[in-house]
Amino acid sequence: MRVEVRDLIVQFPQRPDRALDGVDLTVEPGEQVALLGVSGSGKTTLLRALVGAVRPITGTVTVGGASVTGSREEQRRVRLRTGIIRQRDDLVVGMRAQTNAIIGTASTWGPVDWLQVLSGRVPTRYREPLTALATRHGIDSHLRARIEHLSGGQRQRIALVRALLPDPDLLLADEPTSGLDPVAGRTAVTALQTVPQATVIVSTHDIGVARRFPRVVALRAGRVIFDGPLPDDDDIAALYEPVGVL
Amino acid sequence: MSQDQIRPVEVPVPGRCAGPPPLKPAAEQPDRSTSGYVRRFRRLALLVVIAGAVTWALLGTGVGIASLYEGRAGAGRLIGGMFPPNLSADLLNSVAAAVFETLQISIAGLFFGALLGLPLALLIAGNVRGPAWLASAARLFATFMRSVPELLWALLFVSTVGLGPAAGVYAISLHAAGMLAKLASEQLEAVDPAPVEAVRLTGATRTATAVLAIVPQARNNLASLLLYQWECNIRSSAVIGFVGAGGIGQALGVSLHLFRYQELATLLIALVLMVMTVDRISRALRRSMGASVATSRKAD
Repeated sequence: MRVEVRDLIVQFPQRPDRALDGVDLTVEPGEQVALLGVSGSGKTTLLRALVGAVRPITGTVTVGGASVTGSREEQRRVRLRTGIIRQRDDLVVGMRAQTNAIIGTASTWGPVDWLQVLSGRVPTRYREPLTALATRHGIDSHLRARIEHLSGGQRQRIALVRALLPDPDLLLADEPTSGLDPVAGRTAVTALQTVPQATVIVSTHDIGVARRFPRVVALRAGRVIFDGPLPDDDDIAALYEPVGVL
Repeated sequence: MSQDQIRPVEVPVPGRCAGPPPLKPAAEQPDRSTSGYVRRFRRLALLVVIAGAVTWALLGTGVGIASLYEGRAGAGRLIGGMFPPNLSADLLNSVAAAVFETLQISIAGLFFGALLGLPLALLIAGNVRGPAWLASAARLFATFMRSVPELLWALLFVSTVGLGPAAGVYAISLHAAGMLAKLASEQLEAVDPAPVEAVRLTGATRTATAVLAIVPQARNNLASLLLYQWECNIRSSAVIGFVGAGGIGQALGVSLHLFRYQELATLLIALVLMVMTVDRISRALRRSMGASVATSRKAD
């Protein structure tokens, strides 16, 4: 899905500075982009704006031809085709991992599916895809466990499976490596990058992670200050040090 | 330059990274310009008002040692008449029947109260995002139901459906529904918002979000709340029996009016034992669920 952001301005009440200050960004279908910046630079806000989770003052966001900043219906259409992995663990405790993993498919459930879900099972037609996906990400043996009994890394993988199961055209990941050890972080990024045909946008403050993406968009104080392949270390220093970005 | 040197430094930002800020404005600072003299005068005025109100209430109601002393003969007759409690097989049978009836009233009241109150709670809870007009209507309805005391509901139902436990069940159900709607909606609103937003951002409808993200998180606390409401129902059903709404309260009222104090003693003992037993069972169950519902309530 093509993502187009035009002159996006977001300001939260009682904050003096704009969270996003005139962001323009176009991401072509299938492109893989890293958003790079320090905490508070606007990465998370930009990702949230792509699915209509924040209301901008001005500007437009269009994803796959649907206006996220337009009607609620169009916004929902975008959300149904988008998989999101967030920085903070946002799985539903008190439910099994498998129930969490299939939540993204809820819009397609009929009454029978709902009955199966409410009785703690997986709707029949999702059993096979779920097992396949969970096996690929090494979490299949934990599907029946309750979320609160899983480790941070295992939860992250369930969140990944949840995002991937509806077969999204757009994948958004907010700091997917935070809280993971380097090996698990590497695996998580690889998993995101190997989803066929999906447009992938990953936010990170880690240059090592950003370096694995062919295109890097750097943000500072809500503005895009760099867009392109990340240069060598020395060039990064030359690029960022004078403005004190990193 | 090595990568370590140019690795970004985490800048502390208030709250979560770029998350929505708190909506409520910061609490207003007290006005420090007020002089010490004015502050002292205000404190004194407040004390005078409080003392006046307490004196007015005490004088108006005629409470005090004197009135208690004047009632000593009646108290002596009542307490003396209670001994020994009547433990005849006939009475114990009817006491047992009254206890069971009270339990039935409390459980039936809980059932209907939950049936009516929990859907209202879902409509009221802000994070469920029900239609605003429906939420307001539900809140108004729930407030009305719990503002009318159970005793008044019982009087109304006794005069419409007649004496007996059914009137008690209706009375308790309505009040319980009003209480549950308020308290359960608070439990629903207190869940972690992150999973709720995560589910909402998958494009799930409001109903699906409530069922998949809000209710599962609040489940233990809701179950605990129902048990606590059951404890309250037991106590209420003992009281509303006095106006003829069935159960052990009705038996107590009859014994008191007919001056059968030995029966009254047996019934009181049975009532205390029943309430204690139900409290213990309910508390043990609630503790086993690890729920965190405060036991102090009826805050409104």
